[in-house]
Amino acid sequence: MSGEYNPSPEGNPSLLARRNRFQTALVKFIGRHTPKCREVVRILSQSMDSKLSLTMRIKLRLHYLICAWCQRYEKQLHELRKFASSVPDHVDDFSADTLSPAAKERLKEALREERRE
Amino acid sequence: MRRPEIAEDLVQETFFAAVRTSGSFRGKSSERSWLCSILKNKICDHFRKLGRETSFTDLEFLDDELSHKFVPQGFWNHEHGPFEWKPEAEVVMHRAEFWETFRNCLSKLPQRVAHVFMLREMEGMETEQICRDLNISPNNLWVMLHRARMALRECLEMNWFKDPQQESG
Repeated sequence: MSGEYNPSPEGNPSLLARRNRFQTALVKFIGRHTPKCREVVRILSQSMDSKLSLTMRIKLRLHYLICAWCQRYEKQLHELRKFASSVPDHVDDFSADTLSPAAKERLKEALREERRE
Repeated sequence: MRRPEIAEDLVQETFFAAVRTSGSFRGKSSERSWLCSILKNKICDHFRKLGRETSFTDLEFLDDELSHKFVPQGFWNHEHGPFEWKPEAEVVMHRAEFWETFRNCLSKLPQRVAHVFMLREMEGMETEQICRDLNISPNNLWVMLHRARMALRECLEMNWFKDPQQESG
């Protein structure tokens, strides 16, 4: 069958790869019964916003056995969230932009006007 | 906010709102965070006013770029699969240069996509509320968030985690 997943073990960080006949069979089986990586990354993004079904969560766990890359991807989505939610604590590093002196003057003037009214 | 004049207007409106409602400031938080929360609302209002249109070019921005990451059968091309990020997020966040990289990566996203991403991930706004406030369909939101995450992840990897310079600092 074409399109069957049978990855090389060389430099492969996944737990299961084509290292012996048993692994090869297992990898092919899991590859057939879990979503493809392209689909997995889409599902992982959804999992950041809503809860996945139990079946899907199990499928993902199985998929990780043959694919360390998708597992990394999941971890990194959580790290992205950590970064984004920490932006308010790092505003000064995040942007060195400040109001120009002219803009500060305009702002002070506008505030004085507002006070007078 | 990418246009300085809009940023200036929003800051001004924030101070006005702060002066008008200063009676309600209870000193539970610092003035700074109080002002920031007003500013945040002003920024949200601004985007709401901008309307609902997300052009298709906004959403197509990533498609071609990432097609080489997967083999035709839909699995990762092993050469281009996600790289292991080192050091850990907690360590990285202490580096000022990291935030510069993060900001640059964010600014490469189409503006609306970046905004939606920050509402969701920085402010933790629920997806239903983002859809309501910005008047976008849930499906459109999923796509935007997915593309934003994918692009940001890729950009940080290329410009920070794979960049040997970051180790020297």
